[in-house]
Amino acid sequence: MAVRQEAPVRVDRNFWIVTLVLALLSAAAVAYWINAPISHWLPSGSDSAQDVDDLFRFMAASGSALMIYVLGYLLYFLVAFRAKASDGPDAIGVQVHDNHTLEFWWTLIPALFVILLSIISVKIWFGIQLQPSNGLVIEAIGHQWYYTFRAPGVNGEIPNEVHVPVNKQVTIDVTSTDVIHSFWVPAFRVKADMVPGLVNTIRFTPNTVGRYQIICTEFCGTQHGEMNQQYFVVDPPAKFAAWLKGWQVKNAGVSDALPKAGAGGVIDLSKGVATTGQALFTQKCSSCHAMASFDHKVVGPGLKGVMADPSHPSLVNGDPSTPGNVAKILQKGYSGPIGVMPNQTANGLSDSDIANLVAYLKSIK
Amino acid sequence: MAVAAVHPSGGIADHIHPEPHGFIRRYVFSIDHKIIGIQYMITGFVFLVLAGLLAEFIRVQLMNANGGFVSNDTYNEIYTMHGSAMVWLVIIPIVTGAFGNYIFPLQIGARDVAFPWLNMISFWMFPVAGLLLFSSFLLGAPVAGWTEYPPMSLQGGVGTSMWCAAIFLIGVSSTMTGMNFMVTILKMRAPGMTFTRMPLFVWAQLATAPLSMVATTALAAALAALFIERQFGVPFFDAAHGGSPLLWQHMFWFYSHPAVYIMILPVFGIISEVLPTFSRKPIFGYKLIAFSSVAIALSGFMVWAHHMFTSGLAPYLQLPFMIITFVIGVPTGVKIFSWVATLWGGKIHFTSALLFAVGFLALFTFGGVTGVFLAAVPFDLHAHGTYFIVGHFHYVLVGGSLMGIFAGIYYWFPKMVGRMMNETLGKWHFWLFFIGFNGTFLPMHWLGFLGMPRRVPVYDIQFQTWNRVESISSFVMTFAILLFFINVLVSIRKGKKCGPNPWGGRTLEWMIPSPPHYYNFKNIPTVYGLPYDFSEPLPYTGLDDELNDKPPAQLAGAHH
Repeated sequence: MAVRQEAPVRVDRNFWIVTLVLALLSAAAVAYWINAPISHWLPSGSDSAQDVDDLFRFMAASGSALMIYVLGYLLYFLVAFRAKASDGPDAIGVQVHDNHTLEFWWTLIPALFVILLSIISVKIWFGIQLQPSNGLVIEAIGHQWYYTFRAPGVNGEIPNEVHVPVNKQVTIDVTSTDVIHSFWVPAFRVKADMVPGLVNTIRFTPNTVGRYQIICTEFCGTQHGEMNQQYFVVDPPAKFAAWLKGWQVKNAGVSDALPKAGAGGVIDLSKGVATTGQALFTQKCSSCHAMASFDHKVVGPGLKGVMADPSHPSLVNGDPSTPGNVAKILQKGYSGPIGVMPNQTANGLSDSDIANLVAYLKSIK
Repeated sequence: MAVAAVHPSGGIADHIHPEPHGFIRRYVFSIDHKIIGIQYMITGFVFLVLAGLLAEFIRVQLMNANGGFVSNDTYNEIYTMHGSAMVWLVIIPIVTGAFGNYIFPLQIGARDVAFPWLNMISFWMFPVAGLLLFSSFLLGAPVAGWTEYPPMSLQGGVGTSMWCAAIFLIGVSSTMTGMNFMVTILKMRAPGMTFTRMPLFVWAQLATAPLSMVATTALAAALAALFIERQFGVPFFDAAHGGSPLLWQHMFWFYSHPAVYIMILPVFGIISEVLPTFSRKPIFGYKLIAFSSVAIALSGFMVWAHHMFTSGLAPYLQLPFMIITFVIGVPTGVKIFSWVATLWGGKIHFTSALLFAVGFLALFTFGGVTGVFLAAVPFDLHAHGTYFIVGHFHYVLVGGSLMGIFAGIYYWFPKMVGRMMNETLGKWHFWLFFIGFNGTFLPMHWLGFLGMPRRVPVYDIQFQTWNRVESISSFVMTFAILLFFINVLVSIRKGKKCGPNPWGGRTLEWMIPSPPHYYNFKNIPTVYGLPYDFSEPLPYTGLDDELNDKPPAQLAGAHH
């Protein structure tokens, strides 16, 4: 076959005029997105919200520029190169097959853009995902179809709303007791799925006092659409301290009581005696559990500081490591990826044994 | 240069099988790839009507912030079935089963696919699966969305198990079709049709086939596990009994991300055929378009966890999935630029097929851009699970795949039926669909950004105005599709009769009668070059007598 004869390819003056117009339009779009009042559309109530919005500005600006060029040339070509009646049925277009220079540049420029976008995204990602905790940890627990919360030093779960101080970094550990839910506060631009058996963490610094709706974005059943009735409240520091103190006092006596396995009544965990528990631990538990750090596994994990070590906020079943939840495992046993632990009856534990063991485990930090 | 490699085709005519007799063997349990293609097309469009009705129920419910059209549970069944049916019973079967079956064997000069009986079995699993899926409405349809995340999907009624079985069945069908197509393309091309002479639609099917074969098996394993857990209590996914909910998500997306490419790569092929024909120009950058399909297919296996950035991945694992997803934007962008450049310097004929191909370019590009947004982890942590996502994937699947499907139908209907479609109705269809589409799905992006979660039967009152705009626009879209059906039904009976090549196309399917004979080609032609050179003679010899060496009059450049 003979070497293909490429038609000479020239663009006319109109092409350059269109290119100039598209460049101006793109510049206008970029300028718009750089100055777009995003926080007027949706309040940005955290430090990371500003970063996410900046990333969005960058992507929206470059995306708009790309759309303007693609749509602009598309429309221009459709108009300029439409077949006219005078062309006759046999008319064919310019028989050009490719253009290596053009193809080189329109591969290289997107590739460079991808590198730039990766650098910007990774930088913002580091700021959001890898900031170290400063110690304030709130737990949020998803249920069908509401959220409950745990706060430092407060026994039991808090309904309806949780408070945090403004301008102080907060870590939110989220999990679920039934199906997958999600914890989203649009104003903070952060979200984590609440997965049963797993604790996911988000961390940010709220910077605007206010009352924010928490919204579930993972489908969780009949009333998924109404799982937005709980609030995340950002308070001035003094108001937060008063709120926290209030719950610590209110829940001091009532919570962390475990319903008995049989019918009726609760096991009052506050009646447990640590020294009695210590003897029981040696007798009943130590063949499987060491009194050492979590990673020190015999059959089950080590239990030293099980309710105090901040590096392990949750138990093997994903529940937050509170006295009530430890007691629940003692009562019901556990079966999962780590292994199997018999329940209260199989281990021969009385209700007061459970209270004593919990008191002992709580005393070792 | 390749003439030496070309074989004479004389003796092959001996292998023509006689046409089967009787209605059943001919049109029901047919082994002819063309009939099977039409069967896929009709069945796919029947399910499009059903799934489209479900979509309208969704839009009616969302006219009001507090819903009120159906109960929450019914609403959940409706959107779950809408998504499942559109993905598995509409888009995938039409772009692979219907267009794949009918068109590419003709384009490579084959008389059928490699395994015609397997092809028939693949097809018949499809309506069975569809009936099984839709009959779950009688017993309580699945509610947990087309993704069916456990433990939620463990709570649903027996319909969820029927969903598992139906999708498993369609998955087996898809796997077999993928293998069938791959063998056909690799082994049954006409003499002289080297890889770099294959039409781009054939390249697209070749890139898609291994995706169907490999990815679908992961889905089958996940579905089997979910079925066993639901029916027999073996805890694969239930955390309360030691299972892992994230295991399902990994297995599901290991299939479902490649599935996105199963739904779009064949459409890339359709666009690559329509644009050259109606701009009377070679496709721009043939090799780059062909190879970028393969690059996209391969990298499609390495990005599944970008659907799981909020699920609880180890943080560092998020980075490779984010960056590889960005990288896929490059070959995709190159394809879009090449298609736009194909129009430059053309003689563009504004047929309905061309309009839909151009509409595809505009809408798919937008969907691609928002896809890059979502790949960026920090932005995804905000937008995941909201209406932003819903807007994004409808731009890709409706603005991309469905627009491409319509382009393909307006283009190949004359080949399949032997009659032309009505172009005026076609243009009304295009414009109403294009306007209705953007009105329905564009506002979803800002609704999601501002705080509207997906999969909700009720929502905050501040979003009501835009939801009403969306619902009304969706009625316009539905009306446009109604025009399309009227057009098809009228044109089948009353459309203007056409010859073999009404568009002046240059690929092999236009070299044989419309509709083709049972055996496609009496003589297998020999191929000498790429099909897209409008100034050159047709690169074929040895075509059937009735058309032999006589290209249609409107083509420039006589043969020999």
